Amino acid sequence: MKKFLAIVLALCLVVALAVPAYAAGDKTLKIWVPDATKEFTEKQVATFMEAHPEYADYAVTVEAVGEGDAASNMLTDLDAGADIFNFAQDQLARLVAAGALIELSEENAAIVAEENDAGSVAAATMGDLVYAYPLTSDNGYFLYYDKSVVSDPGSLEAIVADCEAAGKGFYMEINSGWYQPAFFFGAGCTLTYDTDDTGAFTACNVDYASDAGVGALKAIVALAKSPAFHNGSSIGNATNAAAIVDGTWDSGAAKDLFGDNYACAKLPTFDLNGEAVQMSGFGGFKLLGVKPQTDEEKLALCDELALFLSSGEVQLARFEEVGWGPSNLSAKADEAVQADEALSALGEQLAFDIPQGQYPGDYWSLATALGDSVIAGDYNDADDAALLEALQSFQDTCISYAK
Amino acid sequence: MARRRKIGNAIVYLILIVMSIVWLFPFIGLVLQSFRGEYGGMVNYLVPKEFSLVNYQFLFSDSSKFIRWYTNTLIIALFVALLQTLIVICVSYALSRMRFKGRKALMNIWLVLGMFPGFLTMICLYYLLKQLGLTEAGAVPGLILISVASSGMGYYVCKGYFDTIPKSLDEAAILDGATRAQILVKMIIPLSKPIIIYTALVAFMAPWCDYIFASYVAFGNENGYNVAVAMTRWVWTNDYQGYFTRFCAGGILVAIPVTILFMCLQKYYVEGVTGGSVKG
Amino acid sequence: MGVNAREAGPIARFFRWLGGDLGEIGASFAQGDWKSKLSFLIMGFAQLCRGQWVRGLTMLALEGGILFYVFRFGWDYLRHILTLGVVETHKQGRITVWGDNSFLILLYGLLTIVAILALVYLWRLNIRQNREAEQRLAAGKRLPTNREDLASLFDKNFDKTLLALPVTGIFVFTVLPIIFMICIAFTNYDATHQPPAKLFTWVGLENFKALFGIGGEGFGGTFFYVLGWTLVWAFFATFLTYFLGMAVAIMINKKGIKLKKLWRTILVMTIAVPQFVSLLYVGKMFASDGLVNAYLLKWGWIQQAIPFWDNALYARILIIVINLWIGIPYTMLIVTGLLMNIPAELYESARIDGANAFQTFRKITLPYMLFVTGPFLLTQFIGNLNNFNVIFLLNRGRPQSMSLSNNAGSTDLLVTWLYKMTINDSNYKIAAVIGIMVFLVTAIISLVVYNTMPSVKDEEGFQ
Repeated sequence: MKKFLAIVLALCLVVALAVPAYAAGDKTLKIWVPDATKEFTEKQVATFMEAHPEYADYAVTVEAVGEGDAASNMLTDLDAGADIFNFAQDQLARLVAAGALIELSEENAAIVAEENDAGSVAAATMGDLVYAYPLTSDNGYFLYYDKSVVSDPGSLEAIVADCEAAGKGFYMEINSGWYQPAFFFGAGCTLTYDTDDTGAFTACNVDYASDAGVGALKAIVALAKSPAFHNGSSIGNATNAAAIVDGTWDSGAAKDLFGDNYACAKLPTFDLNGEAVQMSGFGGFKLLGVKPQTDEEKLALCDELALFLSSGEVQLARFEEVGWGPSNLSAKADEAVQADEALSALGEQLAFDIPQGQYPGDYWSLATALGDSVIAGDYNDADDAALLEALQSFQDTCISYAK
Repeated sequence: MARRRKIGNAIVYLILIVMSIVWLFPFIGLVLQSFRGEYGGMVNYLVPKEFSLVNYQFLFSDSSKFIRWYTNTLIIALFVALLQTLIVICVSYALSRMRFKGRKALMNIWLVLGMFPGFLTMICLYYLLKQLGLTEAGAVPGLILISVASSGMGYYVCKGYFDTIPKSLDEAAILDGATRAQILVKMIIPLSKPIIIYTALVAFMAPWCDYIFASYVAFGNENGYNVAVAMTRWVWTNDYQGYFTRFCAGGILVAIPVTILFMCLQKYYVEGVTGGSVKG
Repeated sequence: MGVNAREAGPIARFFRWLGGDLGEIGASFAQGDWKSKLSFLIMGFAQLCRGQWVRGLTMLALEGGILFYVFRFGWDYLRHILTLGVVETHKQGRITVWGDNSFLILLYGLLTIVAILALVYLWRLNIRQNREAEQRLAAGKRLPTNREDLASLFDKNFDKTLLALPVTGIFVFTVLPIIFMICIAFTNYDATHQPPAKLFTWVGLENFKALFGIGGEGFGGTFFYVLGWTLVWAFFATFLTYFLGMAVAIMINKKGIKLKKLWRTILVMTIAVPQFVSLLYVGKMFASDGLVNAYLLKWGWIQQAIPFWDNALYARILIIVINLWIGIPYTMLIVTGLLMNIPAELYESARIDGANAFQTFRKITLPYMLFVTGPFLLTQFIGNLNNFNVIFLLNRGRPQSMSLSNNAGSTDLLVTWLYKMTINDSNYKIAAVIGIMVFLVTAIISLVVYNTMPSVKDEEGFQ
């Protein structure tokens, strides 16, 4: 009479798993965009559907999924993931490697390449193939500051001195692989990766372990020693900021925080072995990707819709509604865009930045380790040889990610 | 002697007062922040410059699905509390009162299973739920199913409590012709009010804090979020600047029912956990 | 020779049992009547013929259900399980044609195997039932009626009724996923082999070799560093909380202390407020520009912000301290209840012997507590080894350091480190390998400790 145990066990298995997987209706299309642009995207989709009655039988839904979540969800379950999704470019290699993106058709790739700035197209390209539609060209960082505290936004040392004197903070997330290169690239170092069509990293071009690298690391160490320094580049988490290195997405919050004293500018210069050099950084991009499709008609719809959502006119409308800076050349030239304070500060800074290419996920964690070591004071008393040694190990590890 | 005791008591009072301040400080901070009217990010002062209800108004306004998320969590918590308690009672009774082949092995296996890092299996559970159609919009029943399905392993405290009820009572009842089922329903359960309330309370509280697995299961569908998934987004992603005060307000609203329930049932909670942990 | 015989013991026993079992099946078939013989194929047939329709119908329904499942759904996956799929996803023009999905093949293949094993078990049960029934009838005894069968499920066999659902649930939603993850450790499932676009396949012990291979290049060092901190953390988080919680309980219980209930209620708030709210807030309080530093600076107690989360040592201490904030109330509650259980005579006689407060604590209270809360302490310790929430919500394992490899941070526990590996790198294969090793170590230690505990050993003695 053990049977009951076995019976229920088997019964549950059968009932639970004999239920066939419901096939997703082919006539649905799901789009993931960040919360801020959800309503905007819904409106634009409606416009598109009106103009294209041939797709009238498709039901398009827009869900609010942040860029980071979108990428990780696509990696978890491609099947249930969105057909068109918004992501930040640092995820491109991972998504391509996992087969979560379909390359653009030749016609669309040509249109994209022609209408958008070169950096954004490069950011959407793996090897020879374009894998995504550029949406913005504003994923870079610059300086927000409080006019009443910071007198000279042109020099890092002066800003930090002003903040110290006022008992306020200078915020920069130096333990992030995204902000940290502002120093290294500014000093003339490089760190880029080569990739092939499949999303694999084939080579690493890096020269951090050099005199310039040591100089940059010294400048970071000096900054971290200041009592005014706080590690972080998010206005929402900064409690005592007089100056913060941050991006356009925080411009609204920055205005709230600084009120009448709100101001922004390109990044300052920093002291490299006694010489003032301009800080550099990454110019990054937001992209729109399409998931591989099995149906000809649906793929055509996805292609057209993604092209539309990334077109110049929609980019401009997106700028007007939610403030995302366009990558489309004609939208960029628009007066309203040109007049935007934060975007023009970013524009000035971008002249010194390098367009962000592809980096392996491990790079970001490695950079965090370097930054954390600096903040923890591991290098406070280190001589040049010790710093060079640390950078050599950093560089070797970077190279080991490309195989 | 009396003098010494007075001094001793004074020291104890002092310690207790300091501890109370330390323990309450974060909650006072949370409450104050939730009423802050000015700028919604983090600040480095405790008392708001302007008191206001805007954060609560936001949560209940149309621009936020907070009520939906809150209801989701409440539904999950209620069902989990009910079903989990039922299962734990069943398992505990069987393991405490009945002797059958494989009992010891079962207990050892269950003890060990709990040590496997849980999140490694999350992706697997996600696919099992997906097969049943219980992800995305169906996340609420899906989460209930997962919580309840593995709840049998959490029998320790309850079994410990049952163990303290003398077995001679059972034997007497069997002599009177009662079946095992009758003994459980008519005798053990009425004697075990504290442990039942304890089990239900613990089960009720857990779903409020599930943010990793729940976000897997909801898979981007806002209607399937619970409060923890929805609100951790406000502090962990860049998309929600200035949501910190709203986060605090939401946190207070989440804490209220659990706290009230806890205060009312504290007596049983203590009795339950004490009685049960005697045997672990 | 003697050693060999002992070693062969369990194996020999297994084959003897298997032989006996097969023999019994054969005998049942040879000696059974035609109804029983047909039951070898159509389960439950003989029971139905004999009027035991409760048993018969369940058997029949189960056989039908499992076979339906296996042939309708499971077989498609099971037949690929040795290769985990061979058809690659490919493109026709820009249209994608999905190939085999290794993940689903493994998952549903395992499920199908489980279903088939369940069927074999039922089949064996079915044979035994029929044989018993025949023997009873031959001996002139009557068979249990349907009513008796059902009634026994609420009396003699009540344990089966009670455990059926929980055991099934745990099997499908806990054991099966664990078996699945163990299998992953023997595959090459990682960032470049992600279904459904890419296949993954069996690689044998490659991953284990790779793990010990990396051991030379700093991985091993980091592994033991993280393991070391995990143990230190679990030790302090368990025992510091335990003793301080006991101290608080004794203080509140002290004669002459008023408002006992109020003190307890205040402390207990931390249990009631969800951790994702309270810990996130507390974590931010200690940021370099957080409330604590801001007020310390304002009052002039410090000149420069204390790097609570940036300095490895501070971060570790702070985490243990904040964990006290969470843990003390819980222990306090348990101890409060237990204190009342200690027989008053013990204290009485101790006082007559002239023992002071400390001596009574050391000689009576403490041993009693340790004895009765032994299992509780063990479960707490294991829980702390895997205490994901506290670390993740407070500082996510930071600060990292150049001296640690594979993105480990100074406050990372093995679980949070594993979590980072899977989330950041999709490196499931290595995560599974480490997961297994961690699991083995904790499981063995705790099983040994658990089964030697006095209060567990004489389980029956308590009742």
